[in-house]
Amino acid sequence: MRNQFAKTLIELGNDKKLVVLIGDISHFLLRDFQNLYPDRFYNLGIAEQSMMSLASGLAIHEFYPVIHSIAPFIIERAFEQIKDDICYQGLGVNIVSVGSAFDYASLGCTHHCYDDIAILRTLPNMQIIYPAAPHEFDILFRQTYNNKYPTYFRLPQKNHNLKTIPKFGEAELLLEGGDITVIAVGPQIQNAYDAALELSSKGVHCDIFYVSTIKPILKESREMIRKSILKTGKLLTIEEHSIRGGIGDEISLLCGNIRFFHKRLGINDKFLVNYGSYDEHCLENKLTKDGIIASIYEIL
Amino acid sequence: MNKKDLKNIRVSILEMVRKANEGHIPSAFSVVELLYVIYSKMEKNDSFFLSKGHASAALYAVLAHFNYLDKKYLETFCQYDSKLGGHPHRNPPHIMNSSGSLGHGFPMACGYALGKKILKESGRVFCLIGDGESNEGTIWETALYVKHLELNNLVCIVDNNNSQGRAVISDNLKGKFSSFGWEVYEIDGHNISEIEKTLFIDHSLKKPLCVVANTKKGKGIKIMEEDYFTWHHKSPSDEEFNLFLKELS
Repeated sequence: MRNQFAKTLIELGNDKKLVVLIGDISHFLLRDFQNLYPDRFYNLGIAEQSMMSLASGLAIHEFYPVIHSIAPFIIERAFEQIKDDICYQGLGVNIVSVGSAFDYASLGCTHHCYDDIAILRTLPNMQIIYPAAPHEFDILFRQTYNNKYPTYFRLPQKNHNLKTIPKFGEAELLLEGGDITVIAVGPQIQNAYDAALELSSKGVHCDIFYVSTIKPILKESREMIRKSILKTGKLLTIEEHSIRGGIGDEISLLCGNIRFFHKRLGINDKFLVNYGSYDEHCLENKLTKDGIIASIYEIL
Repeated sequence: MNKKDLKNIRVSILEMVRKANEGHIPSAFSVVELLYVIYSKMEKNDSFFLSKGHASAALYAVLAHFNYLDKKYLETFCQYDSKLGGHPHRNPPHIMNSSGSLGHGFPMACGYALGKKILKESGRVFCLIGDGESNEGTIWETALYVKHLELNNLVCIVDNNNSQGRAVISDNLKGKFSSFGWEVYEIDGHNISEIEKTLFIDHSLKKPLCVVANTKKGKGIKIMEEDYFTWHHKSPSDEEFNLFLKELS
């Protein structure tokens, strides 16, 4: 994902309005952009709040800033700047994070961030994009970086290997079943897809939706999801994020006037105080193929 | 410069706050001369960012004075559907940024100045911050940035009105900005010719310029100058309003 980020930026580098600001990460990765466009690349060190406001100043001057750092620092720490300086002023700043959820598993809770989607969802004007394969970042970034809306790109460490066809604001129906509606975001779509294939051989058929734009979900996709939930009456949402405020809440907001049973698979109301690896945290939080299958059987 | 202009601007501020029963008179009065000089001397490619947004009434009154804003809008200050809120909301070209939460406008101005530098545009970016606002860490992060980015097109004016005298004092601002690599002057922020000279004549344009303008909260109204904590966010009664008008005259 990070490599694609660097590649896409280079390919768009001729756009003289594109300015890249980094919070002292990915300098090696982005060195080619820096060498090609030194007057539009700035490493602004460890001062995320001011970097965010500075990006808004560039956007006032009609640039398309791309600001890149680690999720807890660029989102949680700079939240007020995102609210006041970017969203309230209606400016098109692009925020690209790495290290969301528990991607930096072994570094502990200060380096985890599983509330970024929740807090950004509350901000008017904010677009939230969660690509989980390199081609998705490339397509969705090109579709949005210059649309003058604040946009958050959450880049996970792990990719899925599915052939998705992302389009801004649209959900994709990857498998059609009819017994239960399953909606996954991020790399967990791989586990959801694999779980659905396995269940299919046992006679359980899932509607599998993949959502790469969390906000906004456009009308046609909303209708498609609503129809599925109306049909199945059962919804499982899956996310590497707190179950408070993530995709589960976004979907229940969209479908609030339908009666359905909803199970949310994600991070419960707790700090993930263990260290170890990404996979160990997935296992502990049932964010695995087997965890998803067990969750589906719970509500069938 | 006409002394009557400054009086009229202060009267406008008083009228706005009295009608709205809302606003920060002492913080607005301390920056009247600074804003007056900036707006009378600014050139075509210059821009102004107000970082201490609670001085909004002064900004609106000065904009109206120079006919950048229709005077009729001043009467709507802080009303439900007004364009002129208690803190300004971005409305370019004359209101460049939204403000209110302190420590935001200065880094925004820094970003705008960086944009001008990237485009090799002429003109300077003026930004007015407060000494109380200088408690915020982002002021000092930005002071670092401006030097690091060599933004000699940015001018920071500190309205040094001792607003944090009861809390954490931002003392020796001249020394602090100097140590961050800025060219710094300390002036009387109510002295028109000193402001003009420092902002528009006496600068090398080699380094970012910081002007520490020593001012008085509530300048021009004795009771406010003496008891600015009480008056920080207070509207005058009819009786007080009439007394203040007389005093300004």
